[in-house]
Amino acid sequence: MNTTRDSQTLQPPLVAMRGLSVVFGGTVRALEDVSLEIREGEIVGLVGESGSGKTTLCRVLVGLTTATEGTVEVGGEPLAAQLARDPLAFRRRVQMLLQDAVASLSPRMTIGKTLREPIIIHDLPREAALQRLEQILRRLGLPPDVLAKFPHQISGGQARRVGVARALVMQPQLIVADEPTAGLDVSVQGELLNLMLDLQQELGLTYLLVSHNLNVIRRVSGRTAVMYLGQIVEEAPTQQLFDKPAHPYTAALLSTNPAIDPQRRTRRIVLQGEIPSVVNPPSGCRFHTRCPVAQPRCSVEAPALEAVADGAPGRRVRCHFPFSLDLQR
Amino acid sequence: MSMGATPTAEAAGSVAATPLVRITNLRLEASTPRGTAHILRGVSLDIGRGRILGVVGESGSGKSSLASCLMRLLPTNMTRLDGEIRFDGTDLLALDEAEMARWRGRRIAMIFQDPMTALNPLFTVATHLVDVLRRRHAGISRADALGRARNALTSVGIADADLRLAAYPHQLSGGMRQRVMIAMALLVEPDLLLADEPTTALDATVEAQIVDLLDQLRRKFAGAIVFISHHLGLVAQLCDDVCVMYGGTVVETGPVAEVLARPRHPYTRALLECEIESDDQGARLVSIPGEVQDPVAPHVACVFAPRCKYAQDACRAGVPPLVAVGAQHMVACVRAQELA
Repeated sequence: MNTTRDSQTLQPPLVAMRGLSVVFGGTVRALEDVSLEIREGEIVGLVGESGSGKTTLCRVLVGLTTATEGTVEVGGEPLAAQLARDPLAFRRRVQMLLQDAVASLSPRMTIGKTLREPIIIHDLPREAALQRLEQILRRLGLPPDVLAKFPHQISGGQARRVGVARALVMQPQLIVADEPTAGLDVSVQGELLNLMLDLQQELGLTYLLVSHNLNVIRRVSGRTAVMYLGQIVEEAPTQQLFDKPAHPYTAALLSTNPAIDPQRRTRRIVLQGEIPSVVNPPSGCRFHTRCPVAQPRCSVEAPALEAVADGAPGRRVRCHFPFSLDLQR
Repeated sequence: MSMGATPTAEAAGSVAATPLVRITNLRLEASTPRGTAHILRGVSLDIGRGRILGVVGESGSGKSSLASCLMRLLPTNMTRLDGEIRFDGTDLLALDEAEMARWRGRRIAMIFQDPMTALNPLFTVATHLVDVLRRRHAGISRADALGRARNALTSVGIADADLRLAAYPHQLSGGMRQRVMIAMALLVEPDLLLADEPTTALDATVEAQIVDLLDQLRRKFAGAIVFISHHLGLVAQLCDDVCVMYGGTVVETGPVAEVLARPRHPYTRALLECEIESDDQGARLVSIPGEVQDPVAPHVACVFAPRCKYAQDACRAGVPPLVAVGAQHMVACVRAQELA
C-alpha cells in the first residue's frame, strides 16, 4: 500500500497550507500559523484534543471557514480563488466525511434522494452519474433497497457508507475524513477502514484523516501531524512518530492509549492541569504549562516548527528540547 | 476514602471468596413497537469484594443495562426483570421501591458517562456534595459537611477546593466535572461503585488523569468497582477481572490478564483480533462480518453463532451454559474445549 509518492516528485503537493491562521471574533485564535502539505495519494493523519484546531483546519480545507491569514493552495491554485471562480467545481474536488454520519443525512429525504441531490446540484451528466452511483453502492456493499429508506431506518454503519457514497459520486481528489470510526464498534471499524484504503488504491484518492483513535491513525496514515492549541507541534512519518515521538505532548498523548498486550505498554505520562483556553493561550510555548520537562526558556520564547535535528526527512517539531520525554517501554 | 474497619482491597482476596454481588440468570425485557426486546438474556456473574470488574461489550451487548439493573433504575417500557441479584445476601430484585431507594446512594453509587447531564445545573458543587453527605450521615452539621466536601475534592485532585465548591457545573471543564462526580460517589462510601464509561466523553490527556485517579483511589477503596467500557486497553490496565458481554449474554469471564492473553470464546478472540495494535500497515484490518442479532429475536441458541466461524449444529441447538475452563475462567461456548 503506497501512502506516499516519491518525495523527489516535481509536482506541487495537492494541498499546501502556509502560515494559516484563523481567528474568530478577534479573540479566539483557533489556528495559529499552520503549515502543512498533503501530497497526492497520501493519507495524512491529524491528531489533537479539544481546542487543537483540527476541526477548524478541516473546515478551511473544505471551504467552509475563511482563513484570517495565510494561504491554502489546492492543486497549485489558491483555494479562495477557486471558490470565487467556480464554487461547485471546488466542492467536487474536496469532499468531507462528517463525524456524525446519521446527522449529516437529512431526515426528511430518502437515501436515494440524498444521493441524487449532488448530481442535480452540480448538473452532472445524469446517465453517467447514476451509473456511477449504482457501481458505488455495489462497491460499498449497500443493498439497492437502501435507496428507499430514511436515515432512521438504516444502521450507523450503513449511514457512514452512505456518506462515503455521497462523497464519491462527485469523483473527488481529496477526502477530509473527520473521525470516520468514532462511535463504530471495534468489530466493524476494520471493514470501513479497509474500504477507505481500497478506494484510495482504486480511485487514487488522497485523505486527511482526523481521528482521536491513535490505533487507527497508526495503521492507516503514512504521515501524522499532531496539533495542540491551534498549532502543529509535531509532524512525522507515522511509524517514526509512534516509535520515537519528539514532542513531549506527542509522547504524553501516545501514552494515553493503553495497550491490551502487556508487551506493548508504555509508561503512563499523566499531564497536569487542563487544556488551556484558545482565547488566552499561554506565553512562549503553548504547551509549557502542562509540560513535564519544561525549562524556563519555554515560558518566554515560543518555539518554531522546525526540521528535527537528527536528519530524518519529513520530521518537524515545535519544541526547544525535543526528545526530552521518553516513552520507555 | 477508606471504609474504616473493612479490609483493604489487597487483603480482600480473590473472587473465589464469597462475592459481594452474585447475579443469577438475570433477564430483562422491554416492549417495543416491533415486539419484546430481550436486553439481558439470562446473565449470571459474580462481583468480587475489593476487586475491579471490567464489563466490556459493543453495541447491543447489554452492558449498560446491567448497570441499570444493579441500581434498579430502568426505563418505563421495561416489561420483565427476572432473576436474582444477591448483594451481600439480600436479593435486590425482591426489594420494594422504598427499600431499594435506601440502597441507592448508600450502598451502591454510580459515576456516569456524561458528567454535564449527571450534575444538576442549578446547584453548586458544594450543594451536590453536602447533599450526598446529609443522606449518608443524618444530622451532620453544614460546617462539618463542607469540611468533608473540601477534603473530598482535594482527594480527587482538585486544587482550589474552596473555589470549586462555589462553582456551578457549567463553570467547570469536563475533567473537573468528572472528578466532582467521583468525589460524590466516594463520599457515599459505597460497597459497590458502578462506573459507566466514565472517561469516554473526555479528551485523551484528561482521560489519562481520571484513569490515573481511579487507579490510585482503588488502592484505598475497599468496595467493589464495576467498570463498564468498550475500551479493552483501559480495562486491561485498570481492572482485575473482566466480563465480556455479547447480545445480552455473558460469553466469557475471568481474571483480566488471563482472558486477554488466552481468550477462549470465539467472540472474545475475534474482538481481540479486530483491535488494531500492530504496526503492520500492509495487512488487512480484521472485522467480524454481520451484525448483532436483533434483540426481538428469541433466545434459543448461542447468540454469537450467526457470526461465528466455528459454529456447528450443536451451537444452534440450545443456549450454551457458562462452564469453567480454568481457575475462575468461564466461557459460554460448547466448543471451547476443542477449540483451545
